[in-house]
Amino acid sequence: MKFLRPPVSDRPFAIGIPALIWQVLFFYIPLLIIVLTSFLKTTPYGIVGITFEKIAHFINPLYLRVIGFSLLLAFVNVILCFLIAYPLAYFLAFKGRKIKNFLLFLLLIPFWTNFLLHVYAWFYVLERHGFLNNMLMNLGVLKTPIILLNTPFAIIIMMVYYYLPFMVLPIYTSLERFNTSLIEASFDLGATWLQTFRRIVLPLTMRGVRAGFFLVYIPSFGEFAIPSLMGGDKIMFVGNVVSEYILGEGTASLGAAFMVVSCFILLITAVFFYWLLGRFTEPVRDRG
Amino acid sequence: MADKRKFHTHYKSAIFGKVGHLLLIASTYLFLWVPIVVLLVFSFNSESFPSPWTGFTMKWYGELIHSVSLWRAFCNSLVIALSATGISVMMGIFLIFFAAQGGRVGRYLNLFYGSIIIPETVLAVSLLGFFGLVSISLGFTTLIIGHTVLGLGFVIPMVYARFLDLDYRMTEASLVLGATPIQTFFKVTLPMLRPSLITSALLVFIISFDDFILTYFCAGSSVQTLSLYILSMIRSGVSPIVNALSALLLFISSIMALIYFQLSGRSKIF
Repeated sequence: MKFLRPPVSDRPFAIGIPALIWQVLFFYIPLLIIVLTSFLKTTPYGIVGITFEKIAHFINPLYLRVIGFSLLLAFVNVILCFLIAYPLAYFLAFKGRKIKNFLLFLLLIPFWTNFLLHVYAWFYVLERHGFLNNMLMNLGVLKTPIILLNTPFAIIIMMVYYYLPFMVLPIYTSLERFNTSLIEASFDLGATWLQTFRRIVLPLTMRGVRAGFFLVYIPSFGEFAIPSLMGGDKIMFVGNVVSEYILGEGTASLGAAFMVVSCFILLITAVFFYWLLGRFTEPVRDRG
Repeated sequence: MADKRKFHTHYKSAIFGKVGHLLLIASTYLFLWVPIVVLLVFSFNSESFPSPWTGFTMKWYGELIHSVSLWRAFCNSLVIALSATGISVMMGIFLIFFAAQGGRVGRYLNLFYGSIIIPETVLAVSLLGFFGLVSISLGFTTLIIGHTVLGLGFVIPMVYARFLDLDYRMTEASLVLGATPIQTFFKVTLPMLRPSLITSALLVFIISFDDFILTYFCAGSSVQTLSLYILSMIRSGVSPIVNALSALLLFISSIMALIYFQLSGRSKIF
């Protein structure tokens, strides 16, 4: 049965167009401009030619190290989020029963509250005289308080805290659609739990894992607020360098160039991970 | 029943076992909620942090209510979030209207995933450059524009996915019974899309209201939003007023999450 469509001439294309115009004008054109400015040689009189100087300026160990740190931060964050998120999503999807929705609700509330308040909340936990130090001292684990704030540890904690729901929700969605009789079939055919997980559950929910991977990986790479607030500006990441250049006097085009360089590298790693995760996505066939 | 038993035996022999799994989940939730609970408890402490618990007080809530600059920032955020939500949902409806009249939207849809693929920092910096180039001065306009871009990335895919799932027989029946396409859209299609419109509107509102990165770059010096206000308070040291503010904002987001759950077709939470 075919859906009755109104005559072709009635199609009000003009009505459908605002969203497209908005997206192109305020998303794609600005992106294009920022890429162009990092290649254009400008003087106060206008554009005088094409240059690779600005790009070349950032191809040196100092800046590549910053990019390397950002990639590492994003990667560590993604792995930790995955390790915490998968059991949680599994529990929510299969074991949660009556409290499932309540647990989802508890997961969403922090996610939906201004993230600076969470940074602030973690100050209370990680401070010299904060919750964690006090607790560890009361338990007798520590004699003197240890410094937790302004360390890489604090950055990672905050990153995982903030990005965890981005990983849980896609995995949860794909597990919720998962046909549990496949697990039973696998057990009946003699597989152990680990085999079942590795060869049935994980490959069939890899779509969700991949979505979560990129929802965490991409924004963590550009993150600058968490490293600067939790890490005390001790370690520089791409986001910090870019924001300093962009907000500095007359260095905006250099900031643009650095962003283009680092996004290019990010893109390469993202393509690699997309390919890598894609290899695990297909169910294992014809073996054993 | 036999299958069920088998499932459980194997489950117990898993690497971390049933108890281990429960412990893992419990510690995850502790990780998520301990900082918040500590924060809330200290909003009632009569002395400012890092002093330990000294006594119960509501005075920080009083100061919160009387802080003029905070409420100005709150209202700014509210105006920006409502505008961005309104504009992006409106444009979403227009696009769906176009699709409902037989327009082909599918091929443009990928354009809207862009804001998910690139880091928000990159979008923020690009927009800042763009606004400088076309000399739009930074402020409300630029923030609303930016947040609308973020919002479109959620509204359009969500509402369009719902639109594709609609029961075509309804619209067909409406057309067969003599309604015009426009009547059909407003009396049949739009009411069926209402839940997805409201949930996506809620998401856009929250994203805009809580947004920090884009706001940090595109706000300029004239507008202070709630995020920027909280940032300045954090930078200047710990103040229990921020704790009281957190309690208020957590309350607001709980209510929004409740509405979201009811509408997204899940069963009741409690």
